[in-house]
Amino acid sequence: MPSPKVRNAKWPQKPIDPFLLAAMERQSTQPAAPADARTIIRRLHFDLTGLAPTPEEVEAFVEGSSPAGNRQSAIAAAVDRLLSSPAYGERWARYWLDLARYVDETASWLEKTTSAHLYRDWVIKAFNDDLPYDQFVMRQIATDQMGLPPQDRHALAFLGLAPTYWKELQLPPDIIKATVADEWEEHVDTLSRTFLGLTLACARCHDHKSDPITAADYYAIAGVFASVRHAEVPTMGDEFWLPVKKARESVAALEKERDELKKKKPAPADLTNQVAAIDQKIAGLKTGTPHFNMAMATAVEDAALFVIPAANNKGTVLDFKPGQARDLELMKRGDPNKTGDIVPRRFLSAFPAKDGQPRRFTTGSGRLELAQAIVQEAAPLTARVMVNRVWRHHFGRGIVDTPSEFGLTGDAPSHPELLDDLTARFIKNGWSIKWLHREILLSAAWQQSSLAPDSEKRDPENKLFARMSRRRLDFEAWRDTTLACAGTLERSMGGVATPLTSDKNLRRTLYGTVNRHELEPMLRIHDFPDPAAHSAARTETATALQMLFSLNSPFLLAQADALVARMEKEAGPMLNARVTRAHAILFQRPPTAKELAMATGFLTGRETDKKAWSQYAQALLASNETQFVD
Amino acid sequence: MSKDRHRVFAPVLWTRRGALEAAACGFGSMALSGLAAEPAGAMAHPLEPKRPHHPARAKRVIFLFMQGGVSHVDSFDHKPLLTERDGQMFDFDDARKIANSGKREATSQRVMKPLWKFGRHGQSGRWGSDLFPEMCRHVDEMTFIHSLRTEGIAHGPATLFLHCGATQFIRPSMGSWVTYGLGTENENLPGFVSISPSSGNGGPRNFGNAFLPAIYQGTALGKAGAPAGEAVIRHLSSSGSAAQRRQFELLQALNAEQLKRTPGESELEAVASSYELAWRMQHRAPEVFDLSAESGATRALYGIGDPKTDNFGRQCLLARRLCESGVRYIQVTYGDNSANPAWDQHSNLPKHKDHARAVDKPIAGLLQDLKARGLLEDTIVWWGGEFGRTPYAEKNGTGRDHNAGGFTVWLAGGGLRKGHAHGATDEWGHKAVEDKMHMHDLHATILHLLGLDHEHLTFRYSGRNFRLTDVHGRVVRELLA
Repeated sequence: MPSPKVRNAKWPQKPIDPFLLAAMERQSTQPAAPADARTIIRRLHFDLTGLAPTPEEVEAFVEGSSPAGNRQSAIAAAVDRLLSSPAYGERWARYWLDLARYVDETASWLEKTTSAHLYRDWVIKAFNDDLPYDQFVMRQIATDQMGLPPQDRHALAFLGLAPTYWKELQLPPDIIKATVADEWEEHVDTLSRTFLGLTLACARCHDHKSDPITAADYYAIAGVFASVRHAEVPTMGDEFWLPVKKARESVAALEKERDELKKKKPAPADLTNQVAAIDQKIAGLKTGTPHFNMAMATAVEDAALFVIPAANNKGTVLDFKPGQARDLELMKRGDPNKTGDIVPRRFLSAFPAKDGQPRRFTTGSGRLELAQAIVQEAAPLTARVMVNRVWRHHFGRGIVDTPSEFGLTGDAPSHPELLDDLTARFIKNGWSIKWLHREILLSAAWQQSSLAPDSEKRDPENKLFARMSRRRLDFEAWRDTTLACAGTLERSMGGVATPLTSDKNLRRTLYGTVNRHELEPMLRIHDFPDPAAHSAARTETATALQMLFSLNSPFLLAQADALVARMEKEAGPMLNARVTRAHAILFQRPPTAKELAMATGFLTGRETDKKAWSQYAQALLASNETQFVD
Repeated sequence: MSKDRHRVFAPVLWTRRGALEAAACGFGSMALSGLAAEPAGAMAHPLEPKRPHHPARAKRVIFLFMQGGVSHVDSFDHKPLLTERDGQMFDFDDARKIANSGKREATSQRVMKPLWKFGRHGQSGRWGSDLFPEMCRHVDEMTFIHSLRTEGIAHGPATLFLHCGATQFIRPSMGSWVTYGLGTENENLPGFVSISPSSGNGGPRNFGNAFLPAIYQGTALGKAGAPAGEAVIRHLSSSGSAAQRRQFELLQALNAEQLKRTPGESELEAVASSYELAWRMQHRAPEVFDLSAESGATRALYGIGDPKTDNFGRQCLLARRLCESGVRYIQVTYGDNSANPAWDQHSNLPKHKDHARAVDKPIAGLLQDLKARGLLEDTIVWWGGEFGRTPYAEKNGTGRDHNAGGFTVWLAGGGLRKGHAHGATDEWGHKAVEDKMHMHDLHATILHLLGLDHEHLTFRYSGRNFRLTDVHGRVVRELLA
């Protein structure tokens, strides 16, 4: 696509800039001035890692980016450094997990999610490895059918962690059918909104009113999910798995035998010996079987589900037929008990394959063909949706500002040609997300200042991108940065989630337990989305309950104490030095004379009072400036 | 795959500019996308009081949730036939039996008479049993709905349906909708409060905001099973010391410094003003929570001091104090955290009396107190569970099973017909037969009393407008004064 003509030819740095500038010039608007180096490095660190830069990183960057001629190469170097830091994957994985309605735990009576954290870790690694986005999409739908090593099956938790609903099998099939149909709907909804930016679920009941999506399209896709079931699957090949499976079954049988033996009344005379003998056998199996503790993946496997009456008509049976697939009948107004014609599984009719027909799904459940269609026939849309998501996280506003809704009911793109062009180049560059970050971060547009009163007045929503939007940190970035600044953040990556309520939990927030049944109140009050449904974007609220958390929570009180210890250690006993250090750590700048005076006023006469220092540190941690990125 | 990449420039429909611009239904910002009642001022805070859709008859709601399902045929739905035929076997189309057999045919059940004696009460002569003698003294204030029906045979779905109007999908709870529609009258307190909520049967989802902005979520005070004294706002410091005031002043001075550098930044101001609100809440909320400020007579009215009624009495008194302070939607739960909650007497119906003993006096006290203070005129008190119970014994025992097909709740207060009974179940008290009313209708009617049109209180999410009553619900005008 030809680059639009602009008058201010000096301003553009990257191909996205002329598109934005041309639109600004049409509205007689000027871009904002470039942000200063300290602002840029803070913005860059938060955008890519969700953590503030250290004072040393800031000083090195400020030095390296002057004179002005060195600025672009200094930014490029910083971008490279941050994209290769593990913290990058942790930050961007969390955005993805919102879309994937990720959970660590659900209600005990529902399907297991014990390996959920391995999916979270898979997503972190995928971002850190810059796994091409088309591959990233396909593997989450069908990695087990792509000839990839079985360790990759953790990716399938995108499907395996779908919400399930309790099915009271004493009830008749017509009731259970509705519950099962609701589960299929959730699958279709999350899949279509995450990858395609389409709200396909509306079509369960009727043809889409505004987009060319029909009810038949819905059932053609839903049939794929009627042909899979939740499963914990091995992450090694059969040569390892089959012996492990056998050994695990033997252990389970032995454990049962032992427990029954213990319950026996009267107790056998040689109970202790018998139990010891069984325990020894169990231990032998566990140590003698290679990879006995092999990780399982929370995943799906192909099996068609038929909801049928139980024998003697007593309730319902969920009849799974492993390896089989089924096409669904169209349900009138979404009612599974009012069915019409069978709809063969296939992709959406709006995206025909080369033969003019939507791709048919004929292999197994059709997951692989579905995945292929998403990144091939629907590539222009699939790529646009992701390009727009990444854009939105960098600018605080999307080119399409309804990131999971690209249909006619969504928001119109503010710069359609720009989105087309960037998408085309994204695909040409191998669907590389890291490439996309560089295109955006090295642009003049992204490097603008957020201080542009004229533009704020004329374009309060910043549809022209004629300044940087000031953004408030999400809870994860705020909590992580609080820990990092206090010097208490534990940087170990991955593994089982641990509760955030524990004061011993000093890990990044994305490793905190997310429970679908009972969401941690700390997350709930801080705009964390309900993990039972795809979340396209977080709603931002500023509530008194959040502020009470900042003012009084044990978490913040403890971090304030830790920050004081760090100030003392790094800046010595003098008030001025300590306050200066605190500003460098938290705000990447020295204090103003006024701020220094405020600190002096607050602390004079109490310089040795730990409590007073702690209160000062807490005020800094709780202040607006820690929560916003300019 | 690469051979398909040329398709990028194909004019796919989603990017055709003309088509997109022609679509009138695009929207800009999630938070502003709904059709909530109009804010009173231009750039109002999301919790500022809003003008209702039509003149309101009531300003706030106290919902007394009897978790587990009170037996209507033992309390307010008088069915003499049950006493006449006590112990005899009759055919009923029992919901669970139908489920178990898969056949829509009646099964033989043993009729069980009400365990408590019924009588007529007040000037209106409404029926009530000895199960709730104190409440019966207030029937002239009440509007009984004897013909309510709901969805869900089990507690989980039925409890979610009661609160959110849906059995399993993620939907905002009624209190969130009301707060979204009307804002709050007291910015020092949350607009929607749930006192001692249960963690079972949907747990926090029953006071959750779902896709509405989090500012509309219910604030849980304490939890079921814990003493009422623990029903407080989290992280509310009680110290309020001079040192803390000094720290708070420093914090706001720091924020003011930043605002000076970035004038006119509404989001920064929003956070700074939330701090002000938190600070005021910190200092004013403890007053609201301090029940010791009440006179001995008032405390006694709620049964505080009597070990049997003390806990629920405190919850009800707190509800009145919150109501008086302008909290929009207050739920008080009598329940626990188990899967088979408090009122769920499958096998031992006499146990109903223990629960009744715990709630009867506090609820009667609440009604009397609200009336004395003139609050009942513009407050709706809603008493009820997620469903009722069967008129026959479960498994031929001494308890009753769930009954979602017909049961009783009562309302009292602003805009409601006093001493009125609406609808009826069949002669057994099993199925609603006369003026049947669905839970969606109850939701629609309560919203109507608050000045909200249930069809227009919508929020745009995932491509469509959602509302509490989905595509159902009707305002039952017979209930209105």
